[in-house]
Amino acid sequence: MSNNGTLLTVKNLSTYFFTEEGIARAVQDVSLCIKKGKTFALVGESGCGKSVTALSIMRLVPSPPGEIVGGEIVFGNRNLLELSEKRMRGIRGNKIAIIFQEPMTSLNPVYTVGNQIVEAIRLHQRKSTSAAWTDVVEMLRKVGIADPQQRVSEYPHQMSGGMRQRVMIAMAISCRPELLIADEPTTALDVTIQAQILDLLDELQEREGMSILLITHDLGIVAERADDIAVMYASRIVEVADAKQLFAEPLHPYTQGLLKSLPRLGISAKRLQTISGVVPEPLHFPTGCKFHPRCPIGHDDKRCQSVEPKLREVQLGRCVACWYARGYEK
Amino acid sequence: MSERDRIIRKGAAPKGRSLWSDGFRRLRRRKLAMISFAIVITYMVFTGFIYVTELFDCQFELTKWDAKVGDEYEPPSSENIFGTDFLGRSVLRKALYGVKVSITVAFWASVISLVIGVPLGAAAGYFRGFVDEIIVWLYTTLSSIPYILLILAFALVLKGKAISLEWAGLGTYELAGITTVYLAIGLTSWVGICRLIRGEVIKHKEREYVLAAKSYGCSSRRIIFRHLMPNVFHLIIISFSLRFVSFIQAEVILSFLGLGEKNYPSWGAMIDTARLDLPKGYWWEMTAATVAIFLISLALNIFGDALRDSLDPKLRVQ
Amino acid sequence: MDNTNNYLLKVDNLKTYFAIKKGLLRRTVGYVRAVDGISFSIEKGQTLGLVGESGCGKTTVARTVVRLVPATAGGVVFEKMDVLSADRVRLRQLRKDISIIFQDPYGSLNPRMTIGNIIGEPLKVQRGTAGSELSDRVAALLTKVGLSAEAISRYPHEFSGGQRQRIGVARALSLEPKLVICDEPVSALDVSIQSQILNLLKDLQDEFGLTYLFIAHDLAVVEFFCAVVSVMYMGKIVERAGAAELYRNPLHPYTEALMSAIPQVEPALRGQRSAPGGEVPSALSPAVGCAFGPRCPWRQRQCQEQKPGLEESTDYKGHFVACWKCRGN
Repeated sequence: MSNNGTLLTVKNLSTYFFTEEGIARAVQDVSLCIKKGKTFALVGESGCGKSVTALSIMRLVPSPPGEIVGGEIVFGNRNLLELSEKRMRGIRGNKIAIIFQEPMTSLNPVYTVGNQIVEAIRLHQRKSTSAAWTDVVEMLRKVGIADPQQRVSEYPHQMSGGMRQRVMIAMAISCRPELLIADEPTTALDVTIQAQILDLLDELQEREGMSILLITHDLGIVAERADDIAVMYASRIVEVADAKQLFAEPLHPYTQGLLKSLPRLGISAKRLQTISGVVPEPLHFPTGCKFHPRCPIGHDDKRCQSVEPKLREVQLGRCVACWYARGYEK
Repeated sequence: MSERDRIIRKGAAPKGRSLWSDGFRRLRRRKLAMISFAIVITYMVFTGFIYVTELFDCQFELTKWDAKVGDEYEPPSSENIFGTDFLGRSVLRKALYGVKVSITVAFWASVISLVIGVPLGAAAGYFRGFVDEIIVWLYTTLSSIPYILLILAFALVLKGKAISLEWAGLGTYELAGITTVYLAIGLTSWVGICRLIRGEVIKHKEREYVLAAKSYGCSSRRIIFRHLMPNVFHLIIISFSLRFVSFIQAEVILSFLGLGEKNYPSWGAMIDTARLDLPKGYWWEMTAATVAIFLISLALNIFGDALRDSLDPKLRVQ
Repeated sequence: MDNTNNYLLKVDNLKTYFAIKKGLLRRTVGYVRAVDGISFSIEKGQTLGLVGESGCGKTTVARTVVRLVPATAGGVVFEKMDVLSADRVRLRQLRKDISIIFQDPYGSLNPRMTIGNIIGEPLKVQRGTAGSELSDRVAALLTKVGLSAEAISRYPHEFSGGQRQRIGVARALSLEPKLVICDEPVSALDVSIQSQILNLLKDLQDEFGLTYLFIAHDLAVVEFFCAVVSVMYMGKIVERAGAAELYRNPLHPYTEALMSAIPQVEPALRGQRSAPGGEVPSALSPAVGCAFGPRCPWRQRQCQEQKPGLEESTDYKGHFVACWKCRGN
């Protein structure tokens, strides 16, 4: 249908968790647009809902207690939320793949690495066993693992963290997906290994024309690798911009605060700037704008306390959800 | 200022919600678990009731299990809900009295197995090394012997022996009947809880809060009792409730085999005698005992499972 | 480092090896050299940073210094007292003077104890403080770390990660220690909370004249927080310098690689990537020569044969490196 370079569009997605303690509105009214061959970053701190968003796209939200209660996810020309489970399985791992933060728990410890990748291949493609195994070796080579023929018969616990993550990536790209969702792929890895993995993802993107949805809390990674960025706070998207614009001129007070509070190499300071207060929990969200208790502008403002600002486009390609952001009130 | 801070500053200082109160709150919401709990409590209260009546020599209709209420082998009727046995005694009253035997045995057996299993498990888990090796060897060997044979052996050996408690000023105590049964069961059933506690202690020992305690000078004893035990206690409770069932059933088996309490009715003995009556068509005694056992077992199982679901911190929804 | 009489803590060639036992008879087949000859000293009121990736041994150093883990060789001297051979009485005293803030805000607090008990237990154990004196002190500590005193009767799971870390800080301060070892205190926290905790630690240092041994893997955090920084790799210190000097002028190839691998928000600060290839080698079978050799872009013959010692650079005073390449300057 719309072939303007858009691969996947999320419209007004809402995912709630119905628990004994109440309803946790983990994702509320989230919309984003991932372009073909580009990297879209979803940035936020723990508990903001970014991982739940990723799981919602893949329809892997544990249910009960979770449930996608509204919105659309348009991929190709279909709404993923309306597909049958059988159809969805044909997309998972095949057209859209996901890699997680903890490679040790994402890989099955009792199967060799090769077995797990072969399983992924044979689930979606009609290939003979030998062809599949050739593919596996090729995949491992592609992700930069030395001696792939040997590694194929190793078990996850015999490998280091960085290597396991490469195996995860190999599994994910084995069917040449159009979209790769990477949920904090390098948080558990050392900085030097992190750089290698991110380089690998960049390389794969270039070679295969794959889009990447990168979910992370690390603004540095986002600055270096992402094309478009959405900042999430407490279940909502508060700012969307492309990478250059976001760092040059952040519009939302949360983004501004985050950037200012980062200790930066080469820039010595006596004290760090902070954002006071704590991240709210999904069961106890504040009224009005969810950031207002911590906001230097809004914490005493009547409007910020009672009415929640919606995400509005203030420029082409730039959106923000703040009453006092430049360009918000026209 | 977060919402929470605002509430605190307003002076409405909420009392802390411990993991226990959280767990019990969740437990209370499960209707089935609460019903099961009520059943268990009923059994226990009844046991207490029987003991009290015996202590004060009160006579109640219901506890007069040895009174002749009718002819031999009367089928269930409006007078005797479960009919009578071969001596014309009320089967219902016998079954009710059997509660005393079962609960008493299960209770003391649980206590004994906990008293042995928990300290051994904690010691093995905390000190590791030589202590651990000995204890593990001990319980591995013990648990390799078939359970029934083990209980039988203990029961046979303990029967008729007397324990001298003169050092405590209590005179000698002749081992008989119930005592033999629960001693035998208790002394052989501590392995499960020991293993469990050992595993948990090993796991918790490496947690940072234990390291922190060591870093400001806590002694080993303090660490075990103040830090580790409270974190494994919920397992003890869960294990207690689930094991209770197996102890009741163990007693039934022992009584069935003739090793239990001879002077008072017990479910096992009832089943034993009823076994011979069944071909003759007298089904009520067997039924009464079975129903009594089934109810308490079911209740304990349901409640034990619910306890585990509620009290296990890992199962909380994050 | 010149006036060796002024130091609070001096570590000398410390080694901590963990034996690997295999087989039925549990024979020792090898050693994991977690800490392989570390030397450093901290002056009173100073902040020394220990930086390195996972597995480099920095956490083991912290635990060995307070004898939570037995040392294999070397010496640790605290205020002129030999720590490693101290008897029980002196060790108890030591536990008062050195305290630790741990990394995991979720694992470092006993979930079954109230906050009041958690913070107050050191006082109970060491000084026998009790009653209202104890609760007053705990309340004062809570306020000092920015929490409300009403937290005393609550439980850890009712607090967020950042708040729990504050509780950990309060506990570490309860015995009025001289040296505080911070073992990755902000690594597990959200970005917006990290800066709060770091500021708090700095303020406390100013107020109480604390000395810090700060351990982390995040170079930016260490640069902000510490006066002197040591970089660790595979159980050894490979470079040490003042914080500003280190960042301006990293000499060791590993330090350079580490810095260039950090993703930077400012485009201007992104240097050329000199990320080392390969994986961190296993600590079981270290290379004969320099431990970083197999991954080093400048590896020479000498690097494979001999281990370089930590020596002061001829060009930069106060800047120490363990590298053959840098020696040639």
